[in-house]
Amino acid sequence: MLYIHQAVAISPQETFPSFDLTRIYQPVDNKLEVREPSYEGIPRNLLRRMGKSVRMGIGASAPILRSTPRPVSGIVIGTGNGGTADSYSFLQQMKEYGEEMLTPGSFAQSTSNAMASQLSMMDQNKNYNLTHVHRGLAFEMALLDVSLLSLEDESAFYLLAGVDELSPSNYALDEMEGWYPPGIIAGEGAAAFLVSGQAQNALAAVKAVATLHSNDVEVVREQLENFLATHLPAGEGITCLVSGENGDTRMNDYYKACESLMSRGTAVLQFKRFCGEYPTASAFALWLAYHQLSEAESAGARNYLIYNTYKGRQHSFILLTGIVKDPVEMV
Amino acid sequence: MKRVFITGMGVISAIGNTVTENHSALKNGVCGITMPPHSSPDLGRVPLAEVSLSNELLRERLQVFDPAVTRTTLLALHAFREAVQDAGLSGEEISSERTALIGGTTVGGMSQSDELYRDVSERYAASPFLSSYDCSSVFMFLQEQYRMKGVIDTINTACSSAGNAIGYGMRLIRSGLAGKAIVGGADSLSKFTISGFNALHILSPEICRPFDRNRQGLNLGEGAAFLVLEGEDEISADKKIYAEVRGYYNASDAFHPTSLSANGEGPYLAMQGALGTAGLRAGEVDFINAHGTATENNDESESRAMIRVFGEPPPFASTKSNTGHTLGAAAAVEAVYSLLSLENQEIYPGLHFSSVITGTELEPVTTYRRSPLRHIMSNSFGFGGNCVSLIFSKS
Amino acid sequence: MDKTELKQQLKEQVIQFLNLTSLKPAEIADNEPFFGEGLGLDSIDSLELIVLLNRMYGITIKDPKEGRKVLVDIETMADYIEKHRTK
Repeated sequence: MLYIHQAVAISPQETFPSFDLTRIYQPVDNKLEVREPSYEGIPRNLLRRMGKSVRMGIGASAPILRSTPRPVSGIVIGTGNGGTADSYSFLQQMKEYGEEMLTPGSFAQSTSNAMASQLSMMDQNKNYNLTHVHRGLAFEMALLDVSLLSLEDESAFYLLAGVDELSPSNYALDEMEGWYPPGIIAGEGAAAFLVSGQAQNALAAVKAVATLHSNDVEVVREQLENFLATHLPAGEGITCLVSGENGDTRMNDYYKACESLMSRGTAVLQFKRFCGEYPTASAFALWLAYHQLSEAESAGARNYLIYNTYKGRQHSFILLTGIVKDPVEMV
Repeated sequence: MKRVFITGMGVISAIGNTVTENHSALKNGVCGITMPPHSSPDLGRVPLAEVSLSNELLRERLQVFDPAVTRTTLLALHAFREAVQDAGLSGEEISSERTALIGGTTVGGMSQSDELYRDVSERYAASPFLSSYDCSSVFMFLQEQYRMKGVIDTINTACSSAGNAIGYGMRLIRSGLAGKAIVGGADSLSKFTISGFNALHILSPEICRPFDRNRQGLNLGEGAAFLVLEGEDEISADKKIYAEVRGYYNASDAFHPTSLSANGEGPYLAMQGALGTAGLRAGEVDFINAHGTATENNDESESRAMIRVFGEPPPFASTKSNTGHTLGAAAAVEAVYSLLSLENQEIYPGLHFSSVITGTELEPVTTYRRSPLRHIMSNSFGFGGNCVSLIFSKS
Repeated sequence: MDKTELKQQLKEQVIQFLNLTSLKPAEIADNEPFFGEGLGLDSIDSLELIVLLNRMYGITIKDPKEGRKVLVDIETMADYIEKHRTK
């Protein structure tokens, strides 16, 4: 079990520094852009050089790192498009000025691990540091990574984050490939978590995560069936399906297959209404599910299943469970 | 703790298209770095280490004609095929849910930077590369070609990417989430990367000289390499084993986006950490395949770190004087070279060295020799201070 | 262009090149050191300033170490530009 102790999301909705989802911000021109905070507490000197995805990622992670008494034992990030915006800036420079005498700033920022390394510098954290960039599963791979780390050292705390910005270059490429017909909303965001292998006062935990690459609906259904049979305790059901459905009808069959395995009482929460579509949107889903679970008042087992597909080829299942406080402890 | 062994390897670089060719070149001190002009004017006017096969030849050999496939992917496929054949893996074993694929790359499809620019700025006649520009396109392609059902992942931590890929594959096997892991990295030369490194003023106008007092910077190279890792309980008795992945550690220098701290804190922590995970004392390491990019900053910091860890470091050399800096592939290419050393009990000469760095006074190995070797350490230190140290042990 | 005008222009250009969005030209003193305690710039910034000299004033500095001698503060940089500018 990977226990979640804190979660911060910078998103197109009001999620940071305060949280209020009663008023939902709607997309403009088919895009949901984040409401950037003031980034207080981040040195201006560092901020000035950061592209948007690095800024958002640091913005979501820094409050968590500030709150821990000791440096975290690892910083693990997932980003699908991290770096493309800065790469394109650098290319523009190359076109305009030729290939000599170029400013290196955007090239240095264009490496996908720019955010993870900035965090290590800001926090003077010399521990494990990794950036996963496997497109629609980048966050899930980062999640799997910290799960393994927490098994290797149960007492340690880790920072886990998923970040992607909606850059004009990424949007252009995806749109040309047909991923944004009218009505499908592109989004962006950063979600960061403080996790560990020990429960302490955690209110939710990731029980399991699984990923697959397939375009075959039957394979997805079968894999989900196995996943639930393996990880869901006997007699328990899914309280809420946090679904990555984004309005793209070509994905309907996958979501139908998933819903067919839920029980009648399972609520469905379509998270991309809040954050839009982007490779690490499942990080927002985890944040949202964590929030719901940590605020719920009902006792008894509460299991949330996050199911997402990115472009119909990459699929992931994350099983999150609410931690019921031991009545004896509460006395 | 479950032991993880290497049962297959594949490599393609400026000094050879196969393990055998690379081996022969290393023994004979062949340098794959050349002065301009290069195979394309796009590659500019600095020394580079190109793989000798053009994209056309690669496509022909690999029988891959999909226009969306970039050079980085072609190189990856070439090395991947060699590795899985070497390990004797069947199609079923490769596609099994229990076989992971973990790859590192920094360039990905950015070798096609002209097309990216046109696609984004002109937006009408789309190139075939729309979903090929990112890092994951390389390993998504391999996953699809081989119908792989296990854990597939792409890592980008700059120059240490493949080292982390090897470490991650090892950890997946140890945890029981995979029985086998095909791990490695790939990168190809691109004017985007060349311009970027040029802007950082770390490219040498001459052939690079790792650990030399008069070094002037690095030479970029391209290549790919893969290892097949298997858990001890999964290896059949008749299988050939190269070595054990005995140690892996990842530490951060936390100093600067593109240079290492003067006393090499990140490298020091990575090396110490790897020894710790391997359960070895510093004195038990027989040889170090150094990161040794030949930049002023790296070689001095790395030297200081080696002195801090070892007092008197064991024999060491950087193979980047043969292959150039292959970025996301480097740690995997250099892992293959470390395994060749272990298998053949020999040390290959570091090239282009003449005088020690003032202050650290460390001299790399410069002549070929046979040597009893049990444990080899291989180091890779990336932009952003991402430091990885691996230890391979003869089994 | 006189020295005062050059320094003012230079301050604006430095802010733009280094994306020092929180600063106004008036907030940069002529003798405030670029590196260390003053503006707190680093080696990547010094490379960017070398490009500034090239693009805006036609001055080419090939060796970044030579650049550090020139890039001390606005005053020193302006002096150097006056002597060597080709644009």
